[in-house]
Amino acid sequence: MHYSPYVKAGLLALAVLIGSLAGWELYLRSQGFELSYNDDEDLWAYHHQQVYEASAANPVLIGSSRMKFGLDLATWEATSGLAPTQLSLVGTSPRPLLADLARDKDFKGTVLVGITEGLFFAPSGSYPEQQANKCTAYYPKWSIAQRTSFFLNRHLESQFLFLDVERFNLRSLLNRAGVANRPGVFALPAFPMKFVTDGFNRQTTITKDFMADTSLQNEQRAIWMYVFTKAPKAPMSDSLLTSIFNEVKSDVARIQKRGGQVLFVRMPTSGKVWELEKQVFPREKYWDRLIAKTGAPGIHFQDYPELSKYECPEWSHLGPADARTFTKDLIRIAEQKTGWRIARPSVAATPAHTSTLAVR
Amino acid sequence: MVFNSYTFIAFIGVVLLLHNAPLPWKVKKLNLLVASYLFYAVWNPPFVLLLWLSTIVDYLVALALGREENQYKRKGLLVLSLIVNLGMLGYFKYGGFLMDNFVALLSLAGITYQPPGADIILPVGISFYTFQTLSYTLDVYRRKFAPEKSLLDFSLFVTFFPQLVAGPIVRPGELIPQFKVPHRATQTQFVWGLFLLTLGLFMKVGIADGMLSETSDSVFGVPFPLHPLDAWAGVLAFSGQIFCDFAGYSTCAIGVALCLGFVLPDNFRYPYAAIGFSDFWRRWHITLSTWLRDYLYIPLGGNRLGTTRTYINLMITMLLGGLWHGASWNFVVWGALHGVFLGVERLFRDRPARLPEMPLATDTVITQASLLPAIPMSRSVSRFGLALLTFLLVTLTWVFFRAPDFGTAMRLLLSMFGVIPVQIKLLATIDMYKVFVVTVGLLGCHWLMRDKSVVAVAERTPWWLLGLGWAAMLLVLVLTQKSTGSFIYFQF
Repeated sequence: MHYSPYVKAGLLALAVLIGSLAGWELYLRSQGFELSYNDDEDLWAYHHQQVYEASAANPVLIGSSRMKFGLDLATWEATSGLAPTQLSLVGTSPRPLLADLARDKDFKGTVLVGITEGLFFAPSGSYPEQQANKCTAYYPKWSIAQRTSFFLNRHLESQFLFLDVERFNLRSLLNRAGVANRPGVFALPAFPMKFVTDGFNRQTTITKDFMADTSLQNEQRAIWMYVFTKAPKAPMSDSLLTSIFNEVKSDVARIQKRGGQVLFVRMPTSGKVWELEKQVFPREKYWDRLIAKTGAPGIHFQDYPELSKYECPEWSHLGPADARTFTKDLIRIAEQKTGWRIARPSVAATPAHTSTLAVR
Repeated sequence: MVFNSYTFIAFIGVVLLLHNAPLPWKVKKLNLLVASYLFYAVWNPPFVLLLWLSTIVDYLVALALGREENQYKRKGLLVLSLIVNLGMLGYFKYGGFLMDNFVALLSLAGITYQPPGADIILPVGISFYTFQTLSYTLDVYRRKFAPEKSLLDFSLFVTFFPQLVAGPIVRPGELIPQFKVPHRATQTQFVWGLFLLTLGLFMKVGIADGMLSETSDSVFGVPFPLHPLDAWAGVLAFSGQIFCDFAGYSTCAIGVALCLGFVLPDNFRYPYAAIGFSDFWRRWHITLSTWLRDYLYIPLGGNRLGTTRTYINLMITMLLGGLWHGASWNFVVWGALHGVFLGVERLFRDRPARLPEMPLATDTVITQASLLPAIPMSRSVSRFGLALLTFLLVTLTWVFFRAPDFGTAMRLLLSMFGVIPVQIKLLATIDMYKVFVVTVGLLGCHWLMRDKSVVAVAERTPWWLLGLGWAAMLLVLVLTQKSTGSFIYFQF
């Protein structure tokens, strides 16, 4: 059969493409990488649809990465019978999300707000707010076309490693090229490729490889230290802090007025990260005032021996096994503190057994 | 629906299947029309009503214009069409802008006025299809084009999905006749269409989004002055991004149409190799520049009413061309700068001492697209120097085009030239490398391809080399997927 040069070129292109992608996929699998979903605006918007079903048993979770790592959704669902809606966003302040829920007249549910002081108290319009604002702006405009693409994409993402944007996208690979920056430039270093995976329910989990490899843990610890010491920080004046408290207080009041509930949670950190956080964001100036100003209940890990016993592998986030026991204990403490009914009667919330845990 | 989505892959698969099925031509056209409405509706279904309104009004007005001999009545019909089309455009696109300026004027006069909150959503591509239908009504009014009797063919002309939301802006004579006879892509057309689709997506996803958008967004998004290197990198990044994004869309549109057997006009001809601004406008967004020339510049009098009037007409055309892009004074400034540069160029060209004449490009599209004749130049080095100068000036105008407000634009311009002493370094070195490589590559490619076409180069390239290049683009596309957003020109 005679083919025109264009057809021959097209067939060759297709063959090279399929061959290259198959080779790349096999290589990635041979390196032990685990499949992960892209934790993007579409996945966030997909889960956002469920906020109107939220109650104390299946609250909306907002916060930053520590909520995504440390709140184990499967454990929560097993305990309460209902799955929470994970809307936390890595590296962002949850204030825009709280404000969005407060503005939404149809939202009357329960919200757990994770507090990472460096992100939560970031000034309005600052970088940590941008991703959150992007998502809140994206959801109302989430079109039929975008929903359809998301539906198709989720099936592909569950099969192919090379579709992982965070780790194997060309931009991400170029950013990992190790090109030194000019003095005075702050750029977030790339995290180890085997640090975490994301589930379709937006659960972020530290990988087995990372948990087993202390060199990877040290690499990530060094990154946190770089971020804490080198990242440009806007000066936090008392008036700015007061305006943030007032803004949060108003959002909490709006949700409570409609019958909703808000609970603040300070997730565990350890090692040098916790030491630095204590210095930079003293509890009495930030956490205590937040709880006092808003009048909403709060659970600080430091106040409970069962929540403060953990050592984070890279000082900032809970490992997967710890996340499970932490979640179980958190539910019990939340019930005691607030009087909310979260656990199913058949799974009466009891202290988590530590014998099977990797408690360090 | 955007071309760079899984939804589009599924959509075009079904459309191609139906278009190549053994069905009557009328049914195939109906399929294309339904597909086009679907293509548009998946963004925001209610806005299809606007498309229908525009279609019905212009269809009926044109039929009446064809029948009517009375000049007053004909003018009345034209005014009706203009009111409906420009009224829609004015309300959705310029309503908020006009109200803001009205409130500001009242405030200057000491009157405080709080307008009722109106969050107007801009229908995607409204400027494109409005100009397309306007050209039809104006051509029928001038008796340059006979009114289309088939509502199906006319509706398809207004709505044809490959170019509906971001051009190329097609004239009735370029598209409606193609609907009269059955069109189906030949094997070569189909494969070439797929190649163009890949090339367009590579430009958009691989270059604009994958290499440049982050840098440009960062630089234009900060509220403080930057180190000159960072400011230049950000502005050059946008220069490359806007070209790859918009020309990428046009290339996709042309490719998709070709897969169906239809030919759309070129919209870009390597504009960053332009020598002078008149040359730039023969190469950048050609279908808009020819539209502005034919329906605005020439009716205003063009260059037939003396020197002063020519400059005024030129400035009016460019100011309105700027405003077409968006309801913001920044776009007006952008248009004004282009008007000034075109005027200055014309002034130089009209000086008594003339350089030796260089033959004009004979290509019909370029000749048609010209607002002004080309600058005569001789030596290739000076030509390249002038092209670089043109590129730099065009790049400076992009600052106003991209900046969210006038203050940001001025701060960035001052940063670029080191006028502001505070010099914050923002960009990672790898991002600067990307901008540098893409800018040099883009300029080199435009210069080498200046008087050539992709198809001519492809015909001279061995098939295996073409196939490898094609594979490389596809690989970049797949590996850059999802780091991508909507096309910039959708908002216009």
